[in-house]
Amino acid sequence: MSAGSTALIARKSIRARWGRTLAIGLAITAGVSFVVGSFVLADSLRATFNQLFEELGQDVDLEVRGAQEFDTDDARDPIDVAIADDVAAVEGVAIVEPTLQRYAQLIGDDGDVITPAGGPTLGVSWLGDDGIQGVTIKEGTPPVGPDQLAIDKATADTENLDVGDTIAYLTDVGTFEGTITATVGLGSGDSFGGAQLVALDLDTALVHFGANGMVDAIDIALVDDAEQASVQRAIAEILPPRTEVVTGEQVAEETADQVNEFVNVFGTGLLIFAFITAFVSAFIINNVFQITIGQRLRELALLRAVGASAKQVRRMITFEAFALGVIATVAGIAGGVLVARGLIFAFDAAGAGFPDTTTVLAARTIVMAALVGVGITMLSVIVPARKAGRIPPVAALRPEVGFAAMRARRIVAGVVLTLAGGALFMVGLFVRPGGTVGLIALAGGGALVLFLGVASVSSTIARPVTRVIGWPIEKLFKMPGALARENVARAPRRTSSSAAALMVGVALVSATAVFASSLRSSLVDTLESAITADYIVTDQSFQGLSPVVSETLAEVPELEAVTPVRAISGQVEGDTKNFGAVDAVSFEKLVDPDLKAGSIADLGLDELLVHVDPASDLDLEVGSTVDVLYQNGVTGTLTVAGIYGDATFGNWLIGLDTLENVSTAPARDFFVIGKLGEGVDPADGDAAVFAAMEPYPQANVQTNAEFLASQEAQINQLLIIITLLLAFAIAIAILGISITLALGVFERTREIGLLRAVGMNKRQTRRSVRWEAVIVSMFGALIGIVLGTFLGVVLSLAVPDDVISTLAFNPMIIGLILIAAVIAGLFAALYPSYKASNMNVLEAIATE
Amino acid sequence: MNAPTPPPSDSTPPLAPPAAGAATKPGTTAVSSAPGAGAAAGSVDARKTYGVGDAQVHALDGVTVSFETGKFTAIMGPSGSGKSTLLHCLAGLDTLTSGATYIGDTYLASLDDKALTELRRTKVGFIFQAFNLIPTLTADENIRLPMMLGGESGDAAWIDQVVTTVGLGDRLKHRPSELSGGQQQRVAVARALASQPQIIFADEPTGNLDSVTGAEILDFMRRAVSEFGQTIVMVTHDPVAASYADRIVFVGDGKITDEMVDPTPDQVIDHLRNWA
Repeated sequence: MSAGSTALIARKSIRARWGRTLAIGLAITAGVSFVVGSFVLADSLRATFNQLFEELGQDVDLEVRGAQEFDTDDARDPIDVAIADDVAAVEGVAIVEPTLQRYAQLIGDDGDVITPAGGPTLGVSWLGDDGIQGVTIKEGTPPVGPDQLAIDKATADTENLDVGDTIAYLTDVGTFEGTITATVGLGSGDSFGGAQLVALDLDTALVHFGANGMVDAIDIALVDDAEQASVQRAIAEILPPRTEVVTGEQVAEETADQVNEFVNVFGTGLLIFAFITAFVSAFIINNVFQITIGQRLRELALLRAVGASAKQVRRMITFEAFALGVIATVAGIAGGVLVARGLIFAFDAAGAGFPDTTTVLAARTIVMAALVGVGITMLSVIVPARKAGRIPPVAALRPEVGFAAMRARRIVAGVVLTLAGGALFMVGLFVRPGGTVGLIALAGGGALVLFLGVASVSSTIARPVTRVIGWPIEKLFKMPGALARENVARAPRRTSSSAAALMVGVALVSATAVFASSLRSSLVDTLESAITADYIVTDQSFQGLSPVVSETLAEVPELEAVTPVRAISGQVEGDTKNFGAVDAVSFEKLVDPDLKAGSIADLGLDELLVHVDPASDLDLEVGSTVDVLYQNGVTGTLTVAGIYGDATFGNWLIGLDTLENVSTAPARDFFVIGKLGEGVDPADGDAAVFAAMEPYPQANVQTNAEFLASQEAQINQLLIIITLLLAFAIAIAILGISITLALGVFERTREIGLLRAVGMNKRQTRRSVRWEAVIVSMFGALIGIVLGTFLGVVLSLAVPDDVISTLAFNPMIIGLILIAAVIAGLFAALYPSYKASNMNVLEAIATE
Repeated sequence: MNAPTPPPSDSTPPLAPPAAGAATKPGTTAVSSAPGAGAAAGSVDARKTYGVGDAQVHALDGVTVSFETGKFTAIMGPSGSGKSTLLHCLAGLDTLTSGATYIGDTYLASLDDKALTELRRTKVGFIFQAFNLIPTLTADENIRLPMMLGGESGDAAWIDQVVTTVGLGDRLKHRPSELSGGQQQRVAVARALASQPQIIFADEPTGNLDSVTGAEILDFMRRAVSEFGQTIVMVTHDPVAASYADRIVFVGDGKITDEMVDPTPDQVIDHLRNWA
């Protein structure tokens, strides 16, 4: 058999049918671009940050810092700045630079603080020209003394600040004013990762930032011929307890690891949506192949009649798909690199302050692109190619025979797929064999199989459902509406396949909507019953609030109870736990933690409140004792004073006095909560509290209702982000409806010509095609909503009750989806309806 | 149209006979010797039934017929007479309910799809009423298609000769959509001839053409039989077209009703009038 002739015919066919080829190619390219973009973005960010930290750390040979007993996300305890002098005396040490990072925020001319787009506001100490921590001068000279400061160049540029300007800045201990002597950057970049920076000389920083003679770490550079390991040993000998000296390489690596962890999560998230997009394109590709095989029926039958074997026909169709897949994949790789560059540019524009990023196109990315691009194309063509092989030669003369031969029994397979997919999904979520991997594989795979099954089964209900959807359209638009309704209903299989891609997108949005609504209402229920506080003060500086904030609040006479919430990490029986610390007497008035045993207000020194779950895990009851090793190496024994059922404030709670006893770090508060006294008018309370917090712009004061609303807003934001990530897939789905419709118009050329000949005008023609598209997209959206709601309910039920306790539905989102489906249909119909209305009537009638 | 059997035109170059006679070509899947010795193709008690019970229709109701090698035979009959079904079954495009059809010494019923495909490619040529050509291939590529599918280049000298005879000149590099109906049919005939098949089946080859263009095609087919010894079986309802044949077989209600040898258009028209 000749492979050459198959390839020739396939190649010619691709070239001769540009429109269709382009459409399929676009669907493949979009999916591949997204996949490649996700990989390139993550790889590029990783490479950039690794390079950055390496570059920043290249002058730092050793670093002295607080030691931690075990790995935690907690900040390390600060160390005494005096250690720097001892270290400087060690032989082989050339430069020591103590580093310090605290809260500082610039104040604009109008007296309000200047808030950066998304980053923290930092105050740092800087040695100036001798500095080795990576701060580089962009313009000017380093600040010296209490009246000078340097700021980052990115902020200087956006706020129109210049060297020589005088500016005020706010810190934990007060407001200061100084002259800007320099603009600085981090390495070659102008920004510190989007942060606003105030840099002072060390002595000034220690005072102005309220550091009490403590610094975060001491960076060390060695003389040229010094041996790193021996100097490290020498320094280690003179260090006080709970301090350690590590190599600069290790610090760079640890910092890079933290960033990489974030990049990995972010990259994986994007990749999931990239694969969803690719999956949706597979539906489109399959459908278009399916339809075009029908259109090329006579041509394929003719090939069979003049001596092509079934295998050759199959091979020809497969080869066409393969060639298309390869070309589209190459385009997709290029597109993906552009997507990644575009996203980095967008993040930068939004204030992320990335340094100059390199673009990394790894071999793994190209392999994945080929797997996805060529893979989905080949999978999509399996069934159409087999159908093409079944076309008998006689169909060249009697096409109806060919269509009969191509008809396959899909219903049985569809029902099997639907049931199997649903079962896999539920087993994955509820039984979870093999832990997280099993959950993701089974639930994810099950959902995919379920989508395939429903797409196939939905053709059986396409006719009645689309007739119902079409009813008002027919009433409204008369003849064109009736035509639209009939055209959708007469090819139920095609209607359901072209709606399938949209169905997947809508199902995912609906599932997310149900999940988010349930999560939101459960959260609101929990917070409403748990938090009886009237005011919640949260930190916006990313540094934790200075205790001054809670002390100030405690002095407001309108408030009856105030407590800060602090934390420390500690290990219990080898597992790391997070201990929250509160003022117990106030806490009892501010929070209802659903006490099961013991009491809250009596929480004394070295006593503990514990949540029922860890309590039952560790067999704790009131009076039991727990040995704790804190991250700073301090040990202690806590006695259980109470057991509670609400985990809003964590699983382990101790008193502030207990924390002060064991902590070696300056106190920072995550948030502060307060309650109005009996009989105080809320308006008076609000006025008093907001006035008291006026000097602390880093403290965000919210009333209970505002706090609840902001928590709800966060969940809404999650829903919006997921919907945006699905937008790519939905756009492809709309493209799919458009292609299907255009092919349908092409098939009905003669029929449309006839309608035009007997008096249908262009506008009516456009209308009938337009409403056909709307009916198809509404059908897809309806099936998607039903399926998605089912998935969302199952998902919500699978989540533990203390996270999601009630199911909630959001009719507004369903309404929005349906409106969006109408718009999507109108959009998809733009090209096909134009095509249909601009046919030459005579030529159309003459078409065979 | 009144030229019954047009003589070879002087303006066309003399053509050599086929390199190898159809009968001497190596058979692919010869099963047993066919009954009609010397016949290029034929059928024995061929029956084709559609539907069941009262709705049963006998498209073919016991047709026994054979077609002589090197002759041009026309099959005539009114619409629904079963003439097209007969042709499709003879060509292996369709299957019988009972009875047998054969090409050369091969019974078609004994062949699987693969062998049937091979047979169509090497031993049978087709000319249809319309949609004869692959729209994406050029005229030249369409002519060579059966050989390309077999991975062969074919008899180069013979193909050149056929292509020259088609007389399309530089239009050979054009796609079918850029050719006139007559030009398209000439390409179809050339394709049927190119692989030197044992027999060519034509289904209303001039049905879509005007009379002048139709005459050109029939002329071309006639010459293929007279000069190259090709065997052609053609279904038509046009008396003029049928008169180009050496013999006419009349079909009615799924049965052979009559035969006519060396017909003229007038004889055919008379015959049809009497029949009605």
